[in-house]
Amino acid sequence: MSLRLRAILGQVIAVAFALALGSIVILLIDESPIRVFTTLLRGAFGDPGKVAGTLLQSTPILISGVAACIALRGGMFNVGVEGQLFLGGFAAAVVGFGLDLPTGLHMLVGLAAAILAGAVWVAIPAYFRVRFNTNEVVSTILSNYVAILLTSYFTIFLFKRPGGWSETPPILTSAHLPELFDFSRLNWGLVIGLVLALLTAWYFRNTPGGYSVSMTGSAPRFAEYGGVDIKKRGFWVLIASGAVGGLAGGVETLGVHHRFMEGFAPGFGFDGLIAALLANGSPIGTILTALFFGALRSGSLLLETDTAASREIITVIQALIILSVSAQVLLRRRGDAQGGERRWKF
Amino acid sequence: MDPVSRPATEPAADYAVELLGITKRFGAFTANEGVDLRVRRAGIHAIIGENGAGKTTLMNVLFGLLQPDEGEIRVDGKPVVVTDPSVAIRAGLGMVHQHFKLVPSLTVAENVFLGMEIRRNGLIDHRAQEEKTRELSERFGLAVDPTERVGLLSVGIEQRIEILKVLVRGARTVILDEPTAVLTPQESRELFSTLRGFTQDGMTVIFISHHLEEVMEVSDTVTVLRRGKAVATRPTSELTKAEMVRLMVDRDVSFERPARAATAGQNILSVRGLWARDDRRHPALRDVSFDVRAGEIVGIAGVAGNGQTELAEVLSGLRPASHGSASLNGQDIVTLSPAGVRAAGLAHVPGDRMVRGVDGNASISANLIMGRQNRAPWKKGPRLDWKAAANEAAKMIQRFDIRARGPGDTVRRLSGGNIQKVVLAREFTNEAPFLLIDQPTRGVDIGAQEAIHDEIMRQRAKGVAILVISVQLDELMKLADRILVMFNGRIMGSVDGDTADEDQIGLMMAGIPQGSVEAAA
Repeated sequence: MSLRLRAILGQVIAVAFALALGSIVILLIDESPIRVFTTLLRGAFGDPGKVAGTLLQSTPILISGVAACIALRGGMFNVGVEGQLFLGGFAAAVVGFGLDLPTGLHMLVGLAAAILAGAVWVAIPAYFRVRFNTNEVVSTILSNYVAILLTSYFTIFLFKRPGGWSETPPILTSAHLPELFDFSRLNWGLVIGLVLALLTAWYFRNTPGGYSVSMTGSAPRFAEYGGVDIKKRGFWVLIASGAVGGLAGGVETLGVHHRFMEGFAPGFGFDGLIAALLANGSPIGTILTALFFGALRSGSLLLETDTAASREIITVIQALIILSVSAQVLLRRRGDAQGGERRWKF
Repeated sequence: MDPVSRPATEPAADYAVELLGITKRFGAFTANEGVDLRVRRAGIHAIIGENGAGKTTLMNVLFGLLQPDEGEIRVDGKPVVVTDPSVAIRAGLGMVHQHFKLVPSLTVAENVFLGMEIRRNGLIDHRAQEEKTRELSERFGLAVDPTERVGLLSVGIEQRIEILKVLVRGARTVILDEPTAVLTPQESRELFSTLRGFTQDGMTVIFISHHLEEVMEVSDTVTVLRRGKAVATRPTSELTKAEMVRLMVDRDVSFERPARAATAGQNILSVRGLWARDDRRHPALRDVSFDVRAGEIVGIAGVAGNGQTELAEVLSGLRPASHGSASLNGQDIVTLSPAGVRAAGLAHVPGDRMVRGVDGNASISANLIMGRQNRAPWKKGPRLDWKAAANEAAKMIQRFDIRARGPGDTVRRLSGGNIQKVVLAREFTNEAPFLLIDQPTRGVDIGAQEAIHDEIMRQRAKGVAILVISVQLDELMKLADRILVMFNGRIMGSVDGDTADEDQIGLMMAGIPQGSVEAAA
């Protein structure tokens, strides 16, 4: 338990360090860090509408984060969540405007299509990993570009809505994710994300399968000796991770945009991966870190009107967080002489 | 300062390197204890001993990678304090490590001169480097192409480059740590002729090995290390392989053979004509056949590295066999996965416990679940029952006397002996009809050794078929009903545990087959 506490403390210090560095950057542009951070807070949590906006931004980050957690627990990096999210979003949109099904069922079919799209897309790197031992980090990163450009191509050349925008026709209302409140676009996607995070945490903690996956991630040769088919496990873990990544996109199109637009969800997949890393691969922790990144995004909307800082400062702060968290992980790993073989530690 | 031209009247000038009374401790463990090693100039001096006997530690002390707790190092008769490798290099020592340190994207010549590049006008003079590399390589028969990229070359050639690196830095004494471990027999022969060339040039070679044939073939003098002590230094010509084995293997029988009832029942494990390759794709098992019956302990003896590891891996589904069969309870296990072999009735205590045997960062409970996460009482309905797992763990901690704070204790915190008991506790409570134990007491203190041996005897009494692989002969002579001796991937012979004779086993460990034992002894 103290080990876990120490890990959490380490992450908190890393974030604090990044915010301190960010403050220096803000000072350099002649703005007060205090004003910037209070504006961010106000923008993220100032009134119920803003809170809802933050939760809305957090939802795709949370679901992508859970996707990344699943792979991390199995000892792998799924850096392709972004691409899976795009394909999932696109598949859900096609089902949403292309099929005519009863309300509810239509939505479920749309989400299923999103899950399937993500799973099929990640199956390519997953297969190459199992079969040829390729590094999934490289292959999943590269698959992002293909996925994003592929969805752009389909949108522009196959399903383009009449008019100027590069977007598909709108999704039928029967496929919409119901909204939670009437003052915001916040919808059932958040609930899906929360339930998914809790279920994933429960799975890893309480089932034989989750145990086998965790052991494959933390001590692969031990797991292999104990009879876990680590190759097969690794394959299915990546598939599950990609499926959830696809779901993130489906929730975004069916819940928020109600259509698929070219470049509709910039960076949610990557933010999710960072949220998962910041949470040390814990799905529960990812709820908190996703909320943090969602708050940064939604708070930044107010930055440009109320301060001299550009909203790009958020990107700078995020990048600093990534740097300090990775430095922290590396420092910790250096102290662990036996840890050389493992790729990620929980 | 050419050491060869030193006047012969100067005392100790006869020795290129002297290590006097070297002691090196790691915590409570003494890796070298008062070791004296005098290496004659222009000779090839072999250092032999089993794994963990302290050979590499001694050489690391000489090369300045480790600091001795006691003792003195002399090079060319003069005391030298080797604080780090650069001091050793300046004193004329060079070391070729087991694991090469080369940059694959650079050429051979660039690697050879890495860190000491020949410059002209501030730029690297590639032509001069290549010329110098070619000259050295021709002089010592280390055939390499200086312009080729290292990443494209074989291990044998990489080793030549490492040797060239050492020569370019002006070494007069070359230390090679298990140089033949990565070589094919042909490459080994070429290496030996290079080493002989060195001695003709007045250079000195120190050669670490546990392959006795090579030692016989190439060295002039042999020093045997055993449990950190130098137990003998002799001219190679005065020793036979069997004598070397006797010196290397501990003869102090510290165990008494427990009384036992004849319980052997039907065959549980039958191995027939088994062949397998090692990680370098060389044959590691050659036509191995034996049986293990219920209630019988069969021991596998041999100098480490003669196929024992591969045998354990094949029998546990972790390594494919190239030919032959092994059946457990009548089921062929050679093609099965690790899970399949376990289902067929295997429990396995692996030789490398920190890598295969446990997840050091997980709790004792979590470690005791492995391999049975899909069975009651650990699995209840669809989920793992952690409370039941903790209860089981508490029982096993008690029964196997594991010294820990409780089931939630992190395994890495425990001592080696207690970690081994965690592995035993898991595997011995699987009720498996066949128990494969690789190095039951490696790195375990005497008290825990006794406890582990008692537990193995209890399993035997319960009618379990047991295969014990150990490099400790005394352990096998205590436990085994039959001892099979492995050499170079083959079973050289089988002796009865009750009447086993160390000398007889020692001859087989040196590769002299059982049939010729009487004649040779």
